[in-house]
Amino acid sequence: MTTLLKELFDATVDGDRETVLTTVAQALETGEEPGVILNEGLIAAMAEVGARFERAEFYVPEMLIAARAMQAGLAVLQPHLVAAKVKKVGTVIAGTVKGDLHDIGKNLVSMMLEGAGFEIIDLGTDVPPEKFVEAVRESSPDLLAMSALLTTTMPGMKLTVEALRAAGVRNGVKIMVGGAPLTQRYADEIGADGYAADASKAVRLAKSLVA
Amino acid sequence: MSESETASQNRKFEIEFEPVGRRAVTGAGSTLLSAAQEVGVQLVAVCGGIGICGSCRVRCMEGSLAPTEPEEEVEFTAEELSDGWRLACRARALSDVKLDIPSTSLATAQRLQLEGATTSDSSEPSVTAYQVEVEPPGLYDLRPDWERVEAALFQEQVMPRASSVHVVQHVCDRMREMSWKGRVIVRGERGAEEIVTVLPTDVPMLGLAFDIGTTKIAGYLVDLDTLQTVSRAGVVNPQIAFGEDVVSRIACANRERRLETQLRSRLAEALNELARQLTTGSGNAATRVVDAVVVGNTAMHHFFAGLSVRQLGEAPYVPVTCSSLSEPARDLGLDLSPGTTVYLPPNIAGYVGSDHVSALLAGDILSREGRVVVLDIGTNTEISLKIADRLISCSCASGPAFEGAHIQDGMRALPGAIEHVRLSGGALHVQTVDSDRPVGICGSGILDVVASMLEAGIIDRRGRFYATHPRVRSRDGELEFLLVPAEAAGHGRDIVVTSKDVVEIQLAKGAVRAGIEILCSTAGIKSSEIDTLVVAGAFGTYLDAKSAMTVGMFPRLSEDRIEQIGNAAGTGAIRMLCSASERRKAQLIAERAEYVELTTHPDFADVFTDRLFFELVRNQGVDSDARTRDVSGANARAAATDQRPSTEMQ
Repeated sequence: MTTLLKELFDATVDGDRETVLTTVAQALETGEEPGVILNEGLIAAMAEVGARFERAEFYVPEMLIAARAMQAGLAVLQPHLVAAKVKKVGTVIAGTVKGDLHDIGKNLVSMMLEGAGFEIIDLGTDVPPEKFVEAVRESSPDLLAMSALLTTTMPGMKLTVEALRAAGVRNGVKIMVGGAPLTQRYADEIGADGYAADASKAVRLAKSLVA
Repeated sequence: MSESETASQNRKFEIEFEPVGRRAVTGAGSTLLSAAQEVGVQLVAVCGGIGICGSCRVRCMEGSLAPTEPEEEVEFTAEELSDGWRLACRARALSDVKLDIPSTSLATAQRLQLEGATTSDSSEPSVTAYQVEVEPPGLYDLRPDWERVEAALFQEQVMPRASSVHVVQHVCDRMREMSWKGRVIVRGERGAEEIVTVLPTDVPMLGLAFDIGTTKIAGYLVDLDTLQTVSRAGVVNPQIAFGEDVVSRIACANRERRLETQLRSRLAEALNELARQLTTGSGNAATRVVDAVVVGNTAMHHFFAGLSVRQLGEAPYVPVTCSSLSEPARDLGLDLSPGTTVYLPPNIAGYVGSDHVSALLAGDILSREGRVVVLDIGTNTEISLKIADRLISCSCASGPAFEGAHIQDGMRALPGAIEHVRLSGGALHVQTVDSDRPVGICGSGILDVVASMLEAGIIDRRGRFYATHPRVRSRDGELEFLLVPAEAAGHGRDIVVTSKDVVEIQLAKGAVRAGIEILCSTAGIKSSEIDTLVVAGAFGTYLDAKSAMTVGMFPRLSEDRIEQIGNAAGTGAIRMLCSASERRKAQLIAERAEYVELTTHPDFADVFTDRLFFELVRNQGVDSDARTRDVSGANARAAATDQRPSTEMQ
């Protein structure tokens, strides 16, 4: 790994957004392949963040800050990745269900997935079942990730799974769910394909679902 | 000891404690702390008064004290000493003295605050009593009972409107029982009065104020003749059986009609029980209660008022109504006097309820000058900023960490809970509720611990432990800090602070601070420009403002700009009970409030993320004027010290 990529890696793990931005720009200037910057700089760094999280060396605050730095770098890199036709690991539609406006958890998972090489189509918050169905029809994603922070809005997940089934698009997509009030049991009950308790586990789950 | 010294030891001096307003008479030999203890002024004395923790700081305003002792010279700068700062556990009086106690040195601001809170400037209760004596019916006076009472009131220029049949029957029964003499209680404005009930001639008018919290319900009994709070009591909110937090209770009500009805009736039962406790405790009966005010968060308000809570659980979390309500007590399931009306002050939004309006009222928000922030920290933290004619409010989900939940050795503020921690000379000193042997840590304690660990360099800017610290150890791969070893603990087990505990505090303080920052930026000011930060609520009473600033939950302000006003929601409710003009003020507060929704605010996630880490400021204590502080310099130092942990971690 070049010194510059090592610097990008460290800055991403540390959540140092400014350094991430400058090193990504420098790496591009020096003619580094966008795919290499992504894989060896950002994706490798987020894998390290996930590993530290699982070793209880990192917690949600560090993960949020690292993910935010990664995303800033990715935004600069994005047009170059498109131009270089770098292949994605998979496409994920993400959204917080109807009636729920909370997005910090959903955004963290989205960022971690992005950091693992997924392409994210973020539908935002307060997303009704029909909107999920429409998005699945339009983009045929590999994964659909739903989030809910409130006990009162969890039922929106069940409604969405049912709507996907009714529209005949359920089988073409894997469904994963998460959020503070959720459990594996609830995920099983509503017929989701997986549940993850935190953002790091969500990445592992997503990878296993598209494998 | 010389003769003159002995003589001065025999002399008695008067010590005046401000702003508490208590006086103690003491001999020259005893310390200011023991004088305070004698009269029940509860100074914080974390180390037990042995001069090492520096928590009992007081300032001498008038009079003279014995020369400073070595411990005081360590604790204070020369400037502070010349300003009159002393340690109450060391200093002794040489004359009558007047002391100023900063709120941070006071353990019981709440209770003291409450005592003085009922006397508002222009109190005019919503109910009035008229002594009425009517002629009994006779062969030559065949007027019915009720018209007799009306005629007597007419002589007082009161023309009551039609009353409900319950009130008519009750009043007439009582008048006959009391030989046609009694105090007729009337509510409402001139020309539109309504009869509430009639009381025996020597019985006071009683009023009840309730503050329905998600966890606890507080009740206050007020004598509406003298406007004194007669008694207070609290019960656990019985809805807890249906869910710990507001949202899970709403979800429960959504599931089944039967559960919704139960959630409502349990609340009314709890209020009735409190009303019974409070009135019988003072030799009265709940049926003599002629007026009531109920405040609560919007969900509690809706449950109690019989409004639908479903929409509070779904975006955009809009209440059924924010208007103030006046409902007959009987319709709300309360067994008070037959004609009693319950006043429910207005709400501001789905997650900023009438309890916050009440706290703003108690904090005199409308009449304050400058940029004033009022906040009530709980599972949900409500924050308002007043600047000129604007009042901006928001609510942020700060989680239950400060209530001791989600903290490994966390507990509520019960006996044995560590409520204060001070770091001094590298050693930690803990103070527990009721000075029992420690068994856990409550909200103010966990805040102090995290602040102390930051100051002592036990945790870094990111909130991670330095693994090399002698009291930091690893358990199941996670680092934890040994706060109290098993042999010193009340239950014989180690009391620890885990990495996860610190994270909980980071998330909670980050949310509160982000709320403050967003309000300030909405108003176009910096948080360092806040003139007064008013902290309300139970946790807010006991928290150490300095610790709150150290962890970054509050912006750095000089201590005299921070006011801890105790259970302000309850105080505000009492004020509204005592005065109709306070109800109008509450109305004005709610009308003026602009609500900012944080979950959809474009900057919230970013500001929140920014505030998760700690700011390390090496110079302990608070700058006298945060506005002139060199922020860039402080950040640079923080960044420099931050290099250390990452190398040690790896």
